[in-house]
Amino acid sequence: MINIDSRTHVRGESIYVNDIPLREDTLFGVVFASPLAHGKVKSIDFSEALQIDGVEGIISVKDIKGENQIGGIIQDEELFADKTVDYIGMPIALVCAKTERIAKKAVSRIKIDIEELHPIVTAREAYAAKKFIVPSRTFKIGDTESEWKSCAHIIEGQAEMGGQEHVYLETQGAYAYLTEDDGIKIHSSTQATKYVQRAAAKVLGMPMHKIEVDVNRIGGGFGGKEDQGTPWACMAALAAQTLRKPVKLVLSRAEDIKMTGKRHPYSFDFKLGLSKDLKIVCYEVQCFQNAGACADVSPAVMERTLFHGTASYFVPNARITVHSCKTNIPPNTAFRGFGAPQGMFVLEAALMKAAVTLGVDMMEIQKKNLLSEGDRFPYDQEAKNCNARKCWDTAWKTFGVEKLKKEVADFNQKNDLFKKGVSLYPLCFGISFTKTSLNQGRSLVHIYSDGTVSITTGVVEMGQGVNTKILQAAAQTLSISTRRFTIHSTNTSRIANPSPTAASSGADLNGKATIMACQALLARLKGVACQELKAQDPGDIEIKDEVIYHKGRKTELTWARLVFLTEEARVSLSEHAHYATPIIHFNKAMEKGHPFAYHVYGTAVTVVTVDCLRGTYNVDLVKIIHDFGSSMNLDIDIGQVEGALLQGIGLMTIEELLIDQTGKLVYDDLSSYKVPDIYFTPRTLEVKPLDSKPDPLALLGSKAVGEPPLMYGIGTYFAILKAMREFNPQLKLELWAPMTHQKCLMSLYDNYGDLLK
Amino acid sequence: MNKQITLTINGEARAVEVGPTDILLDVLREKLGIKSPKIGCERGDCGACTVLLDGKSVRSCLILAIEADGHKITTLEGLSRNGLTPLQESFLKHSSFQCGFCAPGIVLSATELLAKHPHPSEEEIKESISGNLCRCTGYKPIIEAIAAVSNARRKSV
Repeated sequence: MINIDSRTHVRGESIYVNDIPLREDTLFGVVFASPLAHGKVKSIDFSEALQIDGVEGIISVKDIKGENQIGGIIQDEELFADKTVDYIGMPIALVCAKTERIAKKAVSRIKIDIEELHPIVTAREAYAAKKFIVPSRTFKIGDTESEWKSCAHIIEGQAEMGGQEHVYLETQGAYAYLTEDDGIKIHSSTQATKYVQRAAAKVLGMPMHKIEVDVNRIGGGFGGKEDQGTPWACMAALAAQTLRKPVKLVLSRAEDIKMTGKRHPYSFDFKLGLSKDLKIVCYEVQCFQNAGACADVSPAVMERTLFHGTASYFVPNARITVHSCKTNIPPNTAFRGFGAPQGMFVLEAALMKAAVTLGVDMMEIQKKNLLSEGDRFPYDQEAKNCNARKCWDTAWKTFGVEKLKKEVADFNQKNDLFKKGVSLYPLCFGISFTKTSLNQGRSLVHIYSDGTVSITTGVVEMGQGVNTKILQAAAQTLSISTRRFTIHSTNTSRIANPSPTAASSGADLNGKATIMACQALLARLKGVACQELKAQDPGDIEIKDEVIYHKGRKTELTWARLVFLTEEARVSLSEHAHYATPIIHFNKAMEKGHPFAYHVYGTAVTVVTVDCLRGTYNVDLVKIIHDFGSSMNLDIDIGQVEGALLQGIGLMTIEELLIDQTGKLVYDDLSSYKVPDIYFTPRTLEVKPLDSKPDPLALLGSKAVGEPPLMYGIGTYFAILKAMREFNPQLKLELWAPMTHQKCLMSLYDNYGDLLK
Repeated sequence: MNKQITLTINGEARAVEVGPTDILLDVLREKLGIKSPKIGCERGDCGACTVLLDGKSVRSCLILAIEADGHKITTLEGLSRNGLTPLQESFLKHSSFQCGFCAPGIVLSATELLAKHPHPSEEEIKESISGNLCRCTGYKPIIEAIAAVSNARRKSV
């Protein structure tokens, strides 16, 4: 089934926040933000800005009737900077004017006096200064201390991984207006209606039930709108409350890049011990997470780094520590993968360094250490239905890796200035929110008297096709045509307290809730059918393709007629259902438990060509075996894999988040911060489903797919590094991601003089 | 000083008063209620605001409204007046869009391409979309959808 959202996309009729028809007297908000990364606010002068014709007000901390606090996990985030500024782009005030242009002009007239303080920019600096968001955490398995002595090889080193700007094509935004009896409605581009509602209630000093948050769809989220849709929605709502007029606030791209947090940059110190036959014996890593100025979701991101610290490998003795370091950059936040790519990258970097040091093929080390059925993760969960080796072996065979390796070797033999590299990347990703309480979904299903059905769930559609999957699940459960359904916007008045659409789990949680609602409706409909058909047992009734069957025999009764009769019989045609993932639990004091419903596996084969004169590269080929469980919609699922892959390749290659010593982002627009364009897509791209089992905790057995495939991009980094080493075997193995063209070029000629001798 | 200009938008003559620095994208969206061109970057980097100006794809965020006076503009709203075009159908069939924000620009860039080159090569397809960013899909289903229209035309000849 095609993605139902595409129908309006191809007509240009899809409505995003910025497209909502405006109410009379709508004002436009533009944010005035801190120009410095750290300092004390001595004075602000709005007077000149307020004199501009068309400016109707400047909203700042003084207008807040509730609390100046929007922190989610930890209450450490101000909506508007009050006494100090903690990063460049920290909001200080919102100028509201009759047009956006006037508001922008007024912003430029605000005068601020800040006493500058020293900014901390990197995680390692913050670690040295003991600036942390939360206490550090460690996951342990086995006993590294005593086992180091049994290692034949010990490899130590450092690695770095840069952050990543989300570049959801629709920037952050919200539109808020008053409703009768002191209510307020907020249209927000958020992945988390509950977070917006909760934070707005707190800031506005209003009860949650007076605030309605509505999301029709969002133009991409990727995690960037999980926590960070909130400030803009709160500002628009606060301005609407204060000025008593509708207020729209949509960030420009420049503002969005400057003011919002991104994927966390990480620094690492690793130590890896291997046995004589290349089995991993011990692994220790210290991860320094650059969290930015406040917590946002960094403690949860840190947790996922811990959970994925051993990636797709079995490590009998491991000690993984993450330090969440507080710095003076925008609060870093959720981004597809959520700390996992960083944890996985550093282990892969350690394996690469081991391979280079020992002069063996990295693939040999990888293969020897893949997870097997029953292996334990450091957090104690057992690998069940473990497909790590199956994916590896299938990819190896299906994609002819032996042959590819030979072709690459032949090419490298024949070419001096162009070199190819081939890598395999094995994936293992846990599905569920690591915070157990978030693993709940909700669905409200109404059947109307004409036989049509509407569904509202807690999930936000952002392109991932979740509404299509929910519709499929409902249509299959009720056995009626997909044409009978409408999926409504995500709205706090219809679905209360939803978990954010995140952790790849939106379809599982809300889809399962939808099935439960449909099953309850079905039971009632069968009861009515039983009476109508003068049958004994509702268990003998079945609905198939809109027709009612009794004891397997087709009857005259149709879906539409049965719905009509049910309404006449005064039986409810509406159902709200709630689903909570069973089995999962986690004990944070012990750092042990069973946090994931299941794991997703896969293997990516990557071949790249590096132009060693220019330092540029092309991704020639990526072929993937991916464990979808039993995919309920391969079009959507393969689309997710391909899109995540390209985003992952961008993360590992050209997307560089360069922050200077003053805390300023150097590449701050889309002409300097480059995301993959159409030329960057792999020349050959193939995604094949693994012959896998449906997982009972996945929606219709179809495993979650949003985040896991992003990590396939890690393979591209190592393929490039391998190609570079073909050109210059002496090159210093720096293990810094992303491998930008610039870095590639500089590294290629590092120690090059020695090579010429 | 404001001036009244006339644009033929999706076949319909529309008069609108614009200022000397008004951007075409803003005039389309705010004054004429045409919302399919999207604001993605406001500086020509992302292509979400692409419209056809006399049949040629342009970034409407880089054009002054006054420059478009007397010209024909096609937006995505104008393409599907008589049902979906084969290109739009093909994009649907190939699940070419996910969040959809890039769709208006990409459909128009590809429309221009197919008007000029009914049977473009893969390189030509890539070139035509090279000014349009998509952050969701990885581009493959976009390339395939455009190629499929070309192939279908070949078969029907």
